[in-house]
Amino acid sequence: MQEHKTIESYLEMVSEQIRWKRARSVVVPELKRHLEDQRDAFAAEGRQNAEELAVEEMGDPVTVGTELDAIHRPRPQWGLLALTMLLALCGALLQIWLTAPWSYCYKDVDPFRTLTAFVLGCGVLLLCYFLDYTWLGRHGRAIYLCAVAASLLALLVSPRPQSFSFYAAYLTLCYPVVYALWLYTYRRSGWTGLLLAIAGGIPLAAICMLVPRTSSLLTLMFTGFVLLMAAGWKDWFGIGRRKTMVFVLLCGAVLVFSALLLLWPSLFANRRLAAALHPELDPTGAGYQANIIRKVLDASQWLGQGTWSTDVSAHPFEMTVPSCSSDAFLTTIIYKLGWAPFLAVVLAFALLAAWLLRRCLKHKSQLGSVVSLAVVMALCAQALYNMVWNLGYPLFAAEFPLIVGNTNTIINMGLIGLALSVFRGESIARDDRRGEPLPQPRYRIKISIQKY
Amino acid sequence: MELEKSLVSGSMALLVMKLLEDRDMYGYQMIEELKKRSDDTFHLKAGSLYPLLHGLEEKDYVSAYEQEATAGKPRRYYHLTGLGHKVLHEKEASWNLYARAVKQVLGGGACCAGA
Repeated sequence: MQEHKTIESYLEMVSEQIRWKRARSVVVPELKRHLEDQRDAFAAEGRQNAEELAVEEMGDPVTVGTELDAIHRPRPQWGLLALTMLLALCGALLQIWLTAPWSYCYKDVDPFRTLTAFVLGCGVLLLCYFLDYTWLGRHGRAIYLCAVAASLLALLVSPRPQSFSFYAAYLTLCYPVVYALWLYTYRRSGWTGLLLAIAGGIPLAAICMLVPRTSSLLTLMFTGFVLLMAAGWKDWFGIGRRKTMVFVLLCGAVLVFSALLLLWPSLFANRRLAAALHPELDPTGAGYQANIIRKVLDASQWLGQGTWSTDVSAHPFEMTVPSCSSDAFLTTIIYKLGWAPFLAVVLAFALLAAWLLRRCLKHKSQLGSVVSLAVVMALCAQALYNMVWNLGYPLFAAEFPLIVGNTNTIINMGLIGLALSVFRGESIARDDRRGEPLPQPRYRIKISIQKY
Repeated sequence: MELEKSLVSGSMALLVMKLLEDRDMYGYQMIEELKKRSDDTFHLKAGSLYPLLHGLEEKDYVSAYEQEATAGKPRRYYHLTGLGHKVLHEKEASWNLYARAVKQVLGGGACCAGA
């Protein structure tokens, strides 16, 4: 056996045995601190060569390193990766198959762009999958500031058809994760941290309103509320579980009440809601989209193309249903292929979401849990809004994740890749609780009653 | 008298989990505590302890987190999980059964106890 007389050389040898580089940063500092403690203890006993003795006490570095290497291996997420790519491929093929003949009436229909988006999406998925998500946790505030700056820039430079900022709208899809990272940086910061964590949501919400993207705003508010409650449950801010949760609940109630007070009387909110619930009152105006989607759904079959008649419209499907290649693409699937393929697509997505959620709830580290939960919630919210829209209630515009759209498919694949990176690194996931009070010893009291 | 290594290695997981039953500890603390509780009989090598702890963590019997110890230095504390508690009780019962049987055999066997 080669002699290792110093702590550094010993740790270097242990480190060389561990093939997964990310695991080294978890294993080596722990061994180093142990060796230092042991060295100090030997020195305090007045023994010579304390460091050498401490190293000797630890055992053979090759054996220790090899044993740790066998334990700390990445957990590949091939199943989830394959399902994500399969769903995205299915979406791309459906888009190409069903919308390619419509290029004469829709400028944004382009099979080449759809395929390019799928390939790019796979690249981004893998890139995020191999990313060290803990780096994002360490730089949460910088990422938050970058996201706000990029969104403001996008608001300025983005083309604004019908005063809607395209580029910024795509960025808002990442806001739940950006907010999760922001929130994570304020752990152990007391009341100030809690207030700053809540305040961090305001600029993001303001940008969603400036885009405007109501679906992103609602997703951000709901995700933010859930994450803050989860943080309260874990007592992240160190002010007590009950206090944090009651404060977050109060803030949520005030926010909902103010939003209702501000938005309810506005003409826009009323018109949108009325048009979605009762499209028959204005079938050619505000209620046109809801009305036509419902007519198309009535004309659809379980399997195969629906029956188009002049009762629905005098024009062909693609000229009648607005956004049938984007927001209303699920309606296209239902009409062109039937309800059964639509349900198959929804069930496949539900399977992916349920699988991600299960892994997320089982995850050990707090950072990993909040990041993956934010991803799952962002995906599910988009799917929910889009399904409600395509079932004849066009309230909030969003595209169905992985199935519809190009840029948003790339972004959603990136978000899924990030969640998979969390699950991949589960064996070395650790929480940093520095600054928190030490847990007290647990005592058990046994009471036995004896009859005399 | 030195203990035979094979006697200790088989029950090391049980001993480490037992230490964590009452409170969360870090590696060095566990070795010291084990020495103290066993009247200096068990001298666990750190090189054996950490792979064992990381293996228990992998099985979800213990969880780990970083925290400052009383001296202010950051330490990796280990905590016995709910599953760990369950496994510990099973291991304890199994060990007690084994120890009783060994003692009986060494003492001449149950059949000869009254002879």
